[in-house]
This record gives sequence, structure tokens and C-alpha cells, in this order.
Amino acid sequence: MSLINLWVKDGYLSTPDGNSIYFWGFSKSENGPAQLPGPHMVVTQGETVTVNLYNTLSEPVSISFPGQTGVTVEGQPVQPQYSAGRLVSFVNHAEPGDMVSYTFTATHPGTFIYESGTNPHVQIPMGLYGGMVVRPADYDPNVKEYKTAYGTGTDTEFDREYLLIMGEIDPDLHQAVEEGRSYLISKYMPRYWTLNGRCAPDTMLMDNMDHLPHQPYSSMIMAQPGEKVLIRYIGAGIGNHSLHPHGNHTRIVGMDGRLLRNGNVDLSYKRFTVLVGPGQTYDQIYQWDGLGYTPENPIPITLPNLRNMGIGNVGWTMWSGSPYLGVKGDIPKGVTSFNEFGEYYFMLHSHKEPQITNWGEFPGGMMTMIAIYPSLSPDVGILT
Amino acid sequence: MATVIKNLQVAAGSLSLPDKTIPFWGFANAFFGSPQTPGPLIEATVGDRLTIRLIHNNSFARIGEPISIIFPGQENVMVRKIPSGPLIPQPVQPQYAGGKMISLTNYLDENVDWLIEYSFTATKPGIYLYESGTNPEKQIQMGVYGVIVIRPSGYNTPDHPNYKTAYGAGTGSDYDVERILVIGEIDSIMHNDVEPGVYYDMLKFKPDYWVINGRSFPDTLAGDNNTSQPYGSKISCKVGQRVLLRVINAGFQNHTFYLGGFVGRVVAADSFPLMTPTLDATYEKTGVTLGSGQSFDIVFTPTTPGDFYLYDREYHHLVNNNQFPGGMMTKIEVTT
Ligand SMILES: [Cu+2]
Repeated sequence: MSLINLWVKDGYLSTPDGNSIYFWGFSKSENGPAQLPGPHMVVTQGETVTVNLYNTLSEPVSISFPGQTGVTVEGQPVQPQYSAGRLVSFVNHAEPGDMVSYTFTATHPGTFIYESGTNPHVQIPMGLYGGMVVRPADYDPNVKEYKTAYGTGTDTEFDREYLLIMGEIDPDLHQAVEEGRSYLISKYMPRYWTLNGRCAPDTMLMDNMDHLPHQPYSSMIMAQPGEKVLIRYIGAGIGNHSLHPHGNHTRIVGMDGRLLRNGNVDLSYKRFTVLVGPGQTYDQIYQWDGLGYTPENPIPITLPNLRNMGIGNVGWTMWSGSPYLGVKGDIPKGVTSFNEFGEYYFMLHSHKEPQITNWGEFPGGMMTMIAIYPSLSPDVGILT
Repeated sequence: MATVIKNLQVAAGSLSLPDKTIPFWGFANAFFGSPQTPGPLIEATVGDRLTIRLIHNNSFARIGEPISIIFPGQENVMVRKIPSGPLIPQPVQPQYAGGKMISLTNYLDENVDWLIEYSFTATKPGIYLYESGTNPEKQIQMGVYGVIVIRPSGYNTPDHPNYKTAYGAGTGSDYDVERILVIGEIDSIMHNDVEPGVYYDMLKFKPDYWVINGRSFPDTLAGDNNTSQPYGSKISCKVGQRVLLRVINAGFQNHTFYLGGFVGRVVAADSFPLMTPTLDATYEKTGVTLGSGQSFDIVFTPTTPGDFYLYDREYHHLVNNNQFPGGMMTKIEVTT
């Protein structure tokens, strides 16, 4: 059984263009910072999960768990909440200063969103959302055939895994909430697009950066050639986001926490671009094994397209200066390279290009990188 | 193999939103009905011949434009028109004037014609739109759309293998409770401009109400009635019953319809069943994204009693006049 305590509180987000944005988020502890997205919940199939929600805001807050059926509060199925006959919450909520305790059994492995079920057009964009990963009952990270997304025999083995949660931020909404002013949702106009609560290039920084106390999660994807990388997408905003990685297609193995397989019929499919709808989740396997690379033959048969190796002439690059994996070469004068070991970088980004800006300035927004290293510690790409 | 005849008119009427009333255009049952949105539900069985007429309208306010119907998903639609012809049915065709296309299909000019008659054979079970094919960017948004349900043969015969299925035996579409949910959106400024004939720039289209079966929450919860929005969308079922939701998007926007915490099995997309004798391609979802004109048939079985809200996960569509709750939302009541 898993016990998860969440405190709802406020805080300030940081954006790469120097903005500071008031937000609401879940915190892991009473004295800890609110964070965007909320703390990852990682549980195991069959486990009873209890989530205690402590509300420090001045309005009711609740959590809905799409994809988890049979959620109860005090032994009764969760129910909509009304005030004077008017719907307030889709599920039981915690009044200001109060708490509510949800219990459910995680019946299915997969990737799920959790999000506010109260005043959703304000509370969810303000930041009250997070991701939940349910491990299959037979999960064993130390045995290859049991390190899977959906259970052994489901063709969902992976070597490393990453969770990317998409969101949008309209600073006007956040400022209106901070100042207690009314806000017309019909004017909703996002200026920032986020992966795990951060805008590019912050998305590529590591977890738990000191200067991003409210945005602890990196979106940097790192792997070795040929490894199976499980990429879990969650759409937490209201937009449809077409995400695509460079370097290879992904194979979609599950949606909304349900394996794409009926008995022996494999319904998984490959896509270059995945349209992530609001509230929806996608589990996919990505493999970079291109260009004829093998550990025995580290020199690619076909050299990578240089356009795939960096992000333009902005004075910095991720390119190593050499087309060969694991080799560093000369960088043009005046350009800074952030390449470490001659690794390859491939963008992963929203194909709605206005969304890879920060308030209109490229590069930014819903963009990160996939880095293919010649060798990489097994401690990288573990979700906890 | 029967013949299903539906006589329709198109007229202007008044639409009730939770906090105001706006003009709209809609289909009406000819002679004895008043305009409504969605239009009258048309039901047929596979093999039936459907004859759907648009009859010139002398009893209600005309909309003052040519009118027509297109039938997305139906093939070999034939048309005849009285008195200006063709008098003998021929395949429907786009209509041009002065080298410019003015209608996606043959239309009725109420100043000249008495009636236009479309006919086709129901070949595939499913849920389909019928909607305006003339100035569709205006007329469909004004409310000129409705639904045709085509049933598999034997759907209403107990002991028949197709009994209470949407797509026949072996398609995973068996159900106990069925509900059609036609989703869309309304720009009330557009409605207020178009009906009195004020020019409306479609590039300014910005909906402010979101509807299921023509109604915004909480009106969605009211039962079926005789108003201009006759179809309720509240669902009632018992624990263990199979609920078939037939969601179809008559609007212009994408909508992601969230299934209220249930995980539903998508059994058909655009009325193509996903389960065939050789392949079960059905899949489970917590919500489905529907583009304009698309439909999904979804089956789920509630296991606990209670009330659950189904809604557009694009939560800015859950408001009326910017206030939550409202918009594209309805409820399922599960009892023991
Ligand atoms: Cu790209």
C-alpha cells in the first residue's frame, strides 16, 4: 500500500526570459515548496493507494484520477460536490484549511494524469496537475523481461524511461488570481508552453536545480544507441500538442493507461508525431539505432544531418563539432558548444512552432532534447 | 427493407441558453413541427431506403437563403427537385452559379421550388450527421444539423444475435443503455448578427457557449421536451449495465470528451466498427478527441453507484458567460 501526502499551496514559477509567475501547486511536504507539475506518484499495480490532500488555499480543492475507477473517500465512491445547488467539484474536495483522503486500487499499469476536479478552468491551468505511473504487478527493474511498462510479454520492455507533462501558461490568468481580480477565461491566451513545468531551455537542465525550486523535473532524455527508451506523455493543458522527436519514430504502446493490445493482437503503432490531447496520456518506445551505428562499428555509415545536431545560429549549439559519436571537434568561432562527450542531440518539440517560443521569442517553450551518449550510467532515466 | 420518409423544413427560431436567448436556424418536422437543434432524429435499419425531403416553408420564418442537406458517410445519394428539376432522381452534385460554387449539393430555393428530395440506401449501421450543404460555415453553426442512426437488422428483435447492438453481433457494441451526444459550440454574437441579416465576418468566429445536443449545462440535464432543443443528455443506468455513448462532433472545433472517470472501450470510429471477425482493434480511453464531423461509439460498464460528470476536458468550455459550471457537460446517474 502507498500513502501519498500532498499539500496544495502557492509559489512562483521561473521562466527563461526572466519572468516570475504566481502559481498553485502540489507539495510533497507541509513545509516544502509547491511544485509544477505535482510530485510524480509511482505505484504498483494491485496496490491500494491513499492520497491525502491538505488544502492551504482559500477555495475548495479536489483531485480527480482519470483512469482510476472505484476511487473512494471515507469508504464511499467519490461524488460531485454542490453548494446551494451549484456544482463546485466533480469529486469530494477539501475545504480551505481542511483535508480529504482518496483511496483506490491501481488496477492497471500505465501513465495517468491527476488533476484538480474543482473550478477546473482556473485550478488546472494554475498548476494543480501531476503525473502518476503504475508499474505492472510483475515489474522488476533488475530483470530485463520484467522491466516493462505493461507487464512481461506485452512487448513494452524498456531500458530507461522519461515522463513529459505538457502544459500552457497564460500569465494574465496567474496575475489576476494573485491579485484577486476577476479573469475572463474567454480571454485565455497562453504565452508559455511547458514540459514538466519548465520552458526551454530550462527543460534541458537536470532535476532539482537550485534556482528552480518549484520546477524540480528535467525533461532531458538521455540514452545509449539501441536502448529502448520509454517516453510517457501527459497532456495537462487544454491544447492539442503535436510532439515529435527527431532521430526516429516512436512506437505507441499504450494510451490513457491502457495497453494497446487485445489478447494476442498487437495494436501498437508507429508515429513520427503524436497529437497529445487534453487529459490524455501516451506511452511510447523510442530507439535511436540509426545511421548504421553499433558498438562494434562506432563510425556511422551515413553521417548525421547537421541540421539535426543543434538548434541554429543563436550563438550556442549542442553539436560536438564532429559527426562521429563520442568525438569532439572544432566549433565555429564565437559559438559556444554545450556538448560534453561527443554525444548526439535530437530535438523533441511541439510541432506547433509558436509553442516553441517564450512569449514569442524562439527558442523556448515546449521543447527539449534527446541526447544519445556513447556510454551512459545506468542511473540515468529512472523514474521515482 | 422498408422505406423511411422524413419531411423536413428549415426555419428560424429562438434558442435558449442558460442565461440568455438567441436566434438560431434549424430543421423542423415539416408541417407540424417547429425548428429545433439538433434536427429531428432520423432512425433507419440497414437495407432501408431513406427519402429525406426539404419542403418549402410557409408556416415559420424562412432563413432567407437556399437550403440543402449533405449526408456525410452515405454513398450514392440521389436527388430530385420539384418543379425545377431534375424530376427523375440523379446523383447529387455541387451547384455552381457564374462559375462559382454556391452549394456543396443540390439545394432548394424556396422562392421557386416546392421540395427537394434526397434518397439513399442505408448500407452501414452507425451514427451520422445530416447537415446544411449551403453556406455551411453559417448555416451549420446557426444550428442546421441533425443525426441519422442506422441500426443493424434485428437490433430490436430479442433472441436475434444483433439485438441491442450498435453494429451487429461480434462487434463488441452490445448495450443496455444508449445515449447520443451531439457536441458543438455557439458564437452568440454570430447568431445575433446572422438572423437579422447583419453581415458577420466568419474570421471573427469565437464561440462563447459549448453544447451537448444543443444545450449548455445545466440545461443538458433536463429531459427530452418539446422545445427548440428537444434532446436531453443526462444518462441513467444501473450498476453493471453496458452504456453505449455515441458522441458526434457537429461543431467546428476539436473537443476532447472526458468519460467522467470511466474507462470506455472505443468500438467504432466514424461508424466503422473496430472489431471484425479477424481483428479486434477496439481500445480503451478515458476521453476521446473528436475533430469536426467525427464520431466515436464508446461502451463502458459502471461498477459503482453514484453521479459522474462527463465533459469537455478543455475546461475553458465548462463555463457559461465565463462562469463555471456550464457549457459542454452532462451527468450519468448510476443506481444499484
Ligand atoms: Cu522537428
